Amino acid sequence: MKKILLIFGVLSLLIFIRPVLGFSGDADPKDEITTVDQLPTVEQGEGVFENAMHGMQQFYNYTGFANATWGHILMILIGIVFIYLGIKFDYEPLLLIPIGIGVIIGNIPFVAGNQTGIYETGSVLNYLYFGVVKGIYPPLIFLGIGAMTDFSSLIANPKLMLLGAAAQIGVFGTFLGALYLGFALPEAGAIGIIGGADGPTAIFLSSKLANGVNILPDGTTVKNLIGPIAIAAYSYMALVPVIQPPIMRLLVNKEDRKIRMKPPRAVTQKEKMIFPVVALLLTTFISPSALPLLGMLFFGNLLKESGRTERLADTARTKLIDIVTILLGVTVGASTQADIFITKDSMLIFTLGAVSFVIATMGGLLFAKFMNLFLKGDNKINPLIGASGVSAVPDSARVVHAEALKSDPHNYLLMHAMAPNVSGVIGSAIAAGILLSFLA
Amino acid sequence: MMLLTMSMQADQISEGYVILLTGLLIVFSALLILSLFFQFGLPVMLYLYRIITKGRDKKIKDIPITADENFTGEVAAAISTAIHLYLNEQHDDENAVLTIKQARKLYSPWSSKIYGTHQKLK
Repeated sequence: MKKILLIFGVLSLLIFIRPVLGFSGDADPKDEITTVDQLPTVEQGEGVFENAMHGMQQFYNYTGFANATWGHILMILIGIVFIYLGIKFDYEPLLLIPIGIGVIIGNIPFVAGNQTGIYETGSVLNYLYFGVVKGIYPPLIFLGIGAMTDFSSLIANPKLMLLGAAAQIGVFGTFLGALYLGFALPEAGAIGIIGGADGPTAIFLSSKLANGVNILPDGTTVKNLIGPIAIAAYSYMALVPVIQPPIMRLLVNKEDRKIRMKPPRAVTQKEKMIFPVVALLLTTFISPSALPLLGMLFFGNLLKESGRTERLADTARTKLIDIVTILLGVTVGASTQADIFITKDSMLIFTLGAVSFVIATMGGLLFAKFMNLFLKGDNKINPLIGASGVSAVPDSARVVHAEALKSDPHNYLLMHAMAPNVSGVIGSAIAAGILLSFLA
Repeated sequence: MMLLTMSMQADQISEGYVILLTGLLIVFSALLILSLFFQFGLPVMLYLYRIITKGRDKKIKDIPITADENFTGEVAAAISTAIHLYLNEQHDDENAVLTIKQARKLYSPWSSKIYGTHQKLK
């Protein structure tokens, strides 16, 4: 209790000292110069006091209280909301908590020019952010995802792979929407990939296309949209359990929701080992620009399935991905510095992001219904699993599973939903590669 | 200028449609090829592999068991019991609750000044 009073007292002192001593809020260099000029003329006894006051003023000008703007306060509140959502509702806490604390770190007000902020060359945060800007972290995350993912449900039922492709209509639909809203082609491509519902892919593509460095054909530099795109992708991924169920209920009628799918056949170890090699060859020959992502994804999967490199697979899916997630989350969060983040573009990106998730979910669901027209008997698929074609692994598969259980408490779709889910990851990486090769 | 930017935007949007269509087509065809391969190609390959390696695979009943003559069911049972005991019964279950009962004594000579070894000189 005493400590709280003490801290509160110091804080209130810092706040109220400002009007009492007549300090002006902004550090105007002109003021400082005049004060220095006046110094020699004052008497010795007063000079010490004046100096001390001047020091205090300097100190005060360097504190967050003097430099805070409403933007900083707003972003700090958003960071706190992220942390709250992660802890209270368990929405992807492994992402939201690092990002939330990153948002707070990135929005502590400071005086520019002291190598503090994430956008100042030479600052520690800037070095950590390097992995985001140069697209180093996303492939490492994909390595871990590959070492975690079991592709057997996909190998057992390869036609479900098309659902993962259908959901990519969200990527291209959003891309078109962003073009209509007046974004340049590369920026629109980077915004579109939010519809892939894949955080690492979104960061990878935006770091290549909308990084604030590339020059557009008309001579202007492209905008730096990595922060808003990453935040939009990750926050909507966390909100998949909120976004998807209403769309499922809207598009799939009650009978279709009850369709039971026959259990997938057993997949041999040989097939599981062949899958990463063949899939790597096929997909990267078609879309070589996606090589960093797909190469690492299938490399990680081969580590897992080969049965001889369990140690490497174990590191990739636990320690390595944890380290990279920590660095990625906190730096992406910190990149939302208010003066760069709060713009009209960010608001547009957030709107487009929500729309892209809706389009992607609808694309998957409608394509699943379309496939059902050609399938007969117990080969029919439950259209709900189309929604898990958006690649938020494994959240959207879990949402599908929960939604199916609501209409039939004995219909377990999780295994079936994982197939379009993981093919969505492959699909969005291919889509990213295509956009990259068209627009870079 | 206005017209120029508008025409540029129109250009952009038409290019956007091109990318939209080709992109979707490529994504679909890539995953379609992949699914066709795993639907039809892989089973054939595995079948061929089985034909090629035929004869080298041995059935379990063909494997000679002479080497394992001494390994009877009793030995197996003994080993598995030992493993079971080692893994599960290393510790007997103890009550993990510790209680400290305070003993109230009126007098204890512990650290008594009367019986101390270092008597202070006066």
